[in-house]
Amino acid sequence: MVRVYVNGVSVDVPQDAPVIEAVEKAGYRVPLLCYLEGLFDEATCRVCVVVVNGRVVPACRFPVSEGAKVLTDSPELTRYRRLNFELLLSTHRLRCWSCSRKSRCRLVELSRDFGVEGIPVCAECPLVGEDCLVAKGLPCLGPLTVAGCSAECTRQGLPCTGCRGFVSDPGVWEDAMRELYGKYGVEREDLEEAMKFFWRSVPERLRRTLSGVEGG
Amino acid sequence: MDPEEAAERLVSKYGSGRGSLIRILQEIQKTFGYLPREGLEAVSRRLGVPLSEVLNVATFYHQFRLEPLGTYVVQVCFGTACYLRGSPQVYEAMRLAAGLNGGRTTTEDRAITIEKARCFGCCALAPVLMVVSSNGSERYIHGRLNPQEARRLVYAYRQRAAVAAGYGSASAGSPG
Amino acid sequence: MRPPAAPGRLIYGSKGFRIRVPLSSCTLAAGAEEVYRAALRAVEELGLDAEVYRVGCTGLCFMDPWVELAKEGLPPTIYANVRPDQVPRIVEDYSRGDLRGAAALRFRIEGFEGGPPALEELDFWRLQTRYVSRNCGLVDPESLEDYVETGGYSGLRKALSMSREEVIEAVKASGLRGRGGAGFPTWLKWRVAYEQRSDVKYVICNGDEGDPGAFMNRLLAESDPHRVLEGLIIAGYATGATRGIIFVRAEKPLMADRLERAVEAARRCGLLGKDILGSGFDFDVEVYRSAGAFVCGEETALIAAIEGRSRPRQRPPYPAVKGLWDEPTVVNNVETLAHVATIFQAGIEEFAKYGTERSRGTKMFCVTGAVRRTGVYEVPIGTRIKTLVFDIAGGPPEGRKIKAVQIGGPSGGCIPAELFDLELDYESLQSYGAIMGSGGLVVIDDGSCMVDVARYFTGFTLAESCGKCLPCRVGMKQLSEILERIASGEGSVEDIELAQELGESIAKTSLCALGGTAPNPILSTLRYFRQEYVEHVVNRRCPAKVCSKLVKYVIDPYLCKGCGLCAKACPASAISGSPGRVYQIDESLCAKCGQCLVACPFGAVRKV
Repeated sequence: MVRVYVNGVSVDVPQDAPVIEAVEKAGYRVPLLCYLEGLFDEATCRVCVVVVNGRVVPACRFPVSEGAKVLTDSPELTRYRRLNFELLLSTHRLRCWSCSRKSRCRLVELSRDFGVEGIPVCAECPLVGEDCLVAKGLPCLGPLTVAGCSAECTRQGLPCTGCRGFVSDPGVWEDAMRELYGKYGVEREDLEEAMKFFWRSVPERLRRTLSGVEGG
Repeated sequence: MDPEEAAERLVSKYGSGRGSLIRILQEIQKTFGYLPREGLEAVSRRLGVPLSEVLNVATFYHQFRLEPLGTYVVQVCFGTACYLRGSPQVYEAMRLAAGLNGGRTTTEDRAITIEKARCFGCCALAPVLMVVSSNGSERYIHGRLNPQEARRLVYAYRQRAAVAAGYGSASAGSPG
Repeated sequence: MRPPAAPGRLIYGSKGFRIRVPLSSCTLAAGAEEVYRAALRAVEELGLDAEVYRVGCTGLCFMDPWVELAKEGLPPTIYANVRPDQVPRIVEDYSRGDLRGAAALRFRIEGFEGGPPALEELDFWRLQTRYVSRNCGLVDPESLEDYVETGGYSGLRKALSMSREEVIEAVKASGLRGRGGAGFPTWLKWRVAYEQRSDVKYVICNGDEGDPGAFMNRLLAESDPHRVLEGLIIAGYATGATRGIIFVRAEKPLMADRLERAVEAARRCGLLGKDILGSGFDFDVEVYRSAGAFVCGEETALIAAIEGRSRPRQRPPYPAVKGLWDEPTVVNNVETLAHVATIFQAGIEEFAKYGTERSRGTKMFCVTGAVRRTGVYEVPIGTRIKTLVFDIAGGPPEGRKIKAVQIGGPSGGCIPAELFDLELDYESLQSYGAIMGSGGLVVIDDGSCMVDVARYFTGFTLAESCGKCLPCRVGMKQLSEILERIASGEGSVEDIELAQELGESIAKTSLCALGGTAPNPILSTLRYFRQEYVEHVVNRRCPAKVCSKLVKYVIDPYLCKGCGLCAKACPASAISGSPGRVYQIDESLCAKCGQCLVACPFGAVRKV
């Protein structure tokens, strides 16, 4: 066993155990993403970074040593984790309305933790799939709206009105247009009308995407 | 010899450990000029390494190619000196002239392969390119290029490749 | 500095007349093979009793191809930039004692006055300290005898007479640090590997050298391969390894061939194999030809390549504890091992004389780009940048101004001309945002745009990223897109800030040294040339007129003579006009290739 100090709290863990073990034993949390205990220790996502003896390392894989000083939180660490998470999201097609993970998605949890606004309300909506309001022909703005509200409205069967603002990735708009609104025949005018509830004007690019001018 | 046979022979020569994988692929490429799919599959079976892993290695290292080469391989230098003196323009002009787009590097008729190369130490002639015939018997260096001259080279080597294949006519000597 | 005293046989040969021609990758590209054949013919036709001798390269690339003629009674004389057709005349004149047209004397001899300057009277030689490169260009790289004659393998003999711990202590006392990049103390790696209890241990010579603009390892291994091998055997002895591997790229066949021949020769003479020199130490070496990937310069990726895999892994465990096939493994760079051999041959004191307090000894630098004398130069660590760039490499070509140097290749950073008083050592370079790296030094003049330079290196590392960890794989892609935006005038001030933030994050959180250093070019150009970035995003202007989307070609109506050469040269048919009248460029068609600028004999085409 070796003694390590996590944010000043001393804990004893086996020599060469990953830092995360010491962190958890000391009662702290570090966001984990690609780590699966005993299965995968490639340390590729770099979301769980912590500082050990002044060096930024992944908590899931870096082995502890006697007297190691671990720091789990700092403005820099938050920035690094958030940036790496954002990089990951930038490569992900956020078609949450057709994803089988539904509410058990780690990306949704982390984006809530980090306050990253990239994921649409569908990620939190229990109606995704057969009960989808868009599939019923309603101008629900869930696929275009930033998640984080736990989809309170759609849970009660009310179409989303976009109070949290729109996701910024044009790819999501295009996918939503093709896979939902277009497919189920929701008219652009109805969508724009729904948007006017909270927004005086719809962003020009979003409007063009919805009317199919761009990319078409 | 077919790729299947070659793989078998090489596995018995270098051993069936994972550590022989790259050496075996190098030898297969030496024989065929590229890595034929059947060869990769045979290596995967005989080494007990999943095909995905074999492909990982075959696409990761610069030396390996998954498609056969053209009769002439044009290597446009993208070293720092050549880059700063316009090799990107030369490269694009040649690809355009050869009708290559997307990820393709070899023309349909397998006359010419055009690729980027790391510095080969002729920085004084920048921008420079090297042309080697895929059988290794010919090697030319063309320096101080511009896009116009580069386009001309594409036509010259294309004609030369046609002659090598047994039709058309061209004069002997370097097309440069 | 004085060239190391070489025995007369090496200089003049057994016939008393030796013509040295360098045959290495770089000189061969410059046409040395033809010069070599011309020299053979000349000797035969003139009926001279002289031998034409293959040697490696001196690193004075600006002289390539060169020949050195050495006849007893005459000073050994170097002729630069020799064409094959000049060889007969040179040989004939020299053998009669007429040294006209020569570039330099290797050294002066008594009783011969005049002639060209001796090497040590010339800055590019005098200011060097040829310590590991002492034999380069002097000996036949394929001759074990030549190497032994210069003291070769006496270092191994000495090391084998010491205990393993004494050898490690000696390397510690010398202060040698790794020459491959980070400058990790060599003895420490050895000690850790030595202390591991394991029957099998490996030592690996890292000869991957993937940086564009760095080729000192290739030069050393092609010109003096036994020195590298001797260092590797000593490393093997010190750590208790039984096998050594020399890792070379398959695309550098001459380097691999020469090392392989050195291994065979050493094996024949009992310098490898069982019971080396009667010491009871068993050790053998093989040359591994890698399939080539920039990331293989990183030691865990290099080990992965030998195991038939790809991609680096998180350290620790360090290879010295758990490396090749999970056994303790030491990975040392070519130049480091050559230093080891030389230290044991010439003694610690000689080595420790050079360098700074923290970093002892010398380092080879490849100086390329906007200088008059491109080449590989060995100088004491701590030499000032300006000494290397101006005094040794001769400064910028006529009419140009040096703006910065990029040190350490795509993993390094730029240092602006105002800071050329800086001393080249590991710590000071790092504190200024560059790294020593393998020692590539690209000199950038005022004709280059720093945004474009950053874009070039970022594109390189992006292409070479192995894709394993997220910051490097996706982050470098984003950085490269940001730079693309800025270079095409579509960037914003926020883009500059984002690039800074993202670059720092990638550097801190990447898995291996490739990602850890990949943002250096962009971070250092942002640090020293932020104004150029600002010009691109605020004024939509490229001050150096390089970024093609931000420049426009125009024809000056007062200078145009209406000759029409520009229109002929234009590949996009964007230039119209009729002979005798002022020609005009249609901007909407212009591909900005710059051909018109080159074609115009009157300087009427301008970039604005």
